[in-house]
Amino acid sequence: MTMLTILEFPDPRLRTKAQPVMAFDVALQGLIDAMLATMYAAPGIGLAATQVNVHRQLLVADVSEEKNQPLVLINPKITLQTGQQVYQEGCLSVPGIYADVERADRIEVQALDRHGRPVQFGTDGLLAVCIQHEMDHLVGKLFVDYLSPLKREMVRKKLEKQRRTASVA
Amino acid sequence: MSQANPRALAAQALSRIVHDGVSLRAAFATFSTTFSDARDRALLSALLHAGARWWLRFDTALTGLLEHPLHEREPQVHALLVLGLVQLEILGLPEYAAVAATVEATRALGKPKFANLTNAILRRWLREREARNAALDADATTRSAHPRWLIKSIAADWPDHADAILAANNAQAPLWLRVNSRRITREELAAKFAATDIEVELPEALAQALVLGQSLDVTRLPGYADGWFSVQDGAAQFAAGLLDARSGMRVLDACAAPGGKAAHILEGAEVDLVALDRDPQRLPRMLENFARLGLRADVREGDAGDPSTWWDGRHFERILLDAPCSASGIIRRQPDIKLHRRASDIPALAAQQARLLDALWPMLAPGGRLVYATCSLLVAENAACIGGVLARHADAAGRRVPLGWHAAGAGMQNLPGEAGMDGFFYAILDKSN
Repeated sequence: MTMLTILEFPDPRLRTKAQPVMAFDVALQGLIDAMLATMYAAPGIGLAATQVNVHRQLLVADVSEEKNQPLVLINPKITLQTGQQVYQEGCLSVPGIYADVERADRIEVQALDRHGRPVQFGTDGLLAVCIQHEMDHLVGKLFVDYLSPLKREMVRKKLEKQRRTASVA
Repeated sequence: MSQANPRALAAQALSRIVHDGVSLRAAFATFSTTFSDARDRALLSALLHAGARWWLRFDTALTGLLEHPLHEREPQVHALLVLGLVQLEILGLPEYAAVAATVEATRALGKPKFANLTNAILRRWLREREARNAALDADATTRSAHPRWLIKSIAADWPDHADAILAANNAQAPLWLRVNSRRITREELAAKFAATDIEVELPEALAQALVLGQSLDVTRLPGYADGWFSVQDGAAQFAAGLLDARSGMRVLDACAAPGGKAAHILEGAEVDLVALDRDPQRLPRMLENFARLGLRADVREGDAGDPSTWWDGRHFERILLDAPCSASGIIRRQPDIKLHRRASDIPALAAQQARLLDALWPMLAPGGRLVYATCSLLVAENAACIGGVLARHADAAGRRVPLGWHAAGAGMQNLPGEAGMDGFFYAILDKSN
C-alpha cells in the first residue's frame, strides 16, 4: 500500500475548504484505503482528506484499541451537539504537540459511507472528539487554532526546531 | 488526530535520565505534562521507574542482542528497546501487547525504520530469554542492576544484609503519608480515604502515619489541597520526635527543603523555627508547603556550613541536620541514583557532612540537642561521620536513639524496606552545659 504524505502545519494547503464528494468510484475507494493505511502507520486515530492534500469532504477514523474498527465518513454533518469535554489532542499535521481542547461531549452525525449510503448515529467520548477534530480539517481548521496566540507561536517554533534537527540528523 | 504515545515519551525521557544526567523526578515532571489521562501518566511513571531501576541489567542484555550498538547513534531507540525488555521481564505485560506497542512506538518516535529491528530484537529475546536471563543472573551487576562500586560498598558496610538490601532497592516502595494533626486526626483521614475506596494501613509505631499499598497521584487524594497530610516516608517521620522540640524553643532545620520535617516539627509544638536551605530554587516549594499546611516558619536562604552569611548569633536549643547525602537508602524510590551516583561522590559527601556538623555545633545552645539524619546506608556518611564529630568536640555526647533499628556507631540505621520504610540513619548529639 502506498503511503500518502501528510501535510504539516503551517502548510497553507491545510487551510483549504473541502468540497463535497460527488463520485463514489474506484479512485475514491483507493484513496480511502490509502488514507486508512496512512493513518494506521502514522500512528493516528483519525485522518482527514485535507491532510493528504485532497480537498474533498472525507475522513477516516479508528479509536479502537485493536485498530480493527475503521470508520469512513463522507460529506459529514453534525446535527446535534451537547455537553462539553476536554481532551488532550494531538494531530498528525502537528507532530509531537499535544494540547487540551474543549469540544462537545456528545454529537449526532449524518454522513455517507464509503459506498455513498447514508448513515446516522450518535457518539460520545474519544470518537466524538476525533470526528469533531477531523471535521475541523475539512473546513481548514486545526486544533492549534483553539490555543492562545502565544501558545500557538510556541508550537510553531517548536515544530520549526524539530524540522531543523530532523534535517541535520 | 493522534494520541501521545507513553512508550515513545518514556524512551525520550529515559534517554535524558541515562545519558544527560537528568533526574527521574525532573524528567517525569517535564514529560508527564503531555498527558491529561491519569492512566497514561501512571504508565509513564511505571516505565521510567522500572527502566531506571533495571537499566544496568537490560542495557547489557540489549548489547548482547544487537550486532551494532545503538546507544550512541540512536539513544532514544536504544532506550525504547530497553523499555521493551523491561515490559516483558519486569512489568509482566503480555508478550504480544508489549512487542506490538514497542514497535508502534518507533513510529511515534519518528523512527519508523527501526520498527523491524525492534520487532526482531524483542522476538529474539523471547526465544532466548531463559539462557539470556541465566547469563545476566550470573553476574552481580546485571543480577541486581546496581553499579559494582555500590554493591561492594553495601557488602562492606552490611555484610549480613547485602543481598536483602539489593533486593529491597529493586522493590516498589509503598506511599507513606503523615497526617497534619492540627487539621484532622489519622482515624478521620483514614475514614475519608476508605469512603473513596482507598485502603490504608495505620502503623502502630508512628502516631501520624498512614501507608497506602499503591502509589498514586497524591494531589488527587481527598484533603491534599486542604493540608490534611504530607507525603513523607515512615523513617523520616521519626525526626520530629527524636528532636523533642518543645513550645517556646528556638529551633533550626539546617537543610530544610522541601520542608517536610520542619512542617512536622511545627505541627507538634509552637516553636520559633528557622527553616534554612542553601538552594534558593527550593524555597518557594517550601513556602508553598507551609502555606498549604497552615504553618509559619522563618524561611531563609543560606548555607548551614557558613553561618556568617545568615546567622544572627542567637543559639538554637534544637538543631536538625537532615544532611545532603548519597540517598543510597531511598534507591527504591529514586532508582536513577544507581545511574547517577559515583564512588567518588561518597568521600566528598562525607567531607561536606562533617563540615556542616562542625559549623552547626557552635550554634547549638549548651544543654541543647542536635539530631543528625541521612537517607544513606553507608557507614562513611553515618556512623563514621558521627564518630568524627564526637572525637572533635569535647562537649558532644551521643544519646541512645530510641528506635529498634540496627546499631550503627552512636546512631541507629534502618535498612531499605525494613518495616516498609526507607533506608535511614539517625544520631542524637547532646551538648553539655
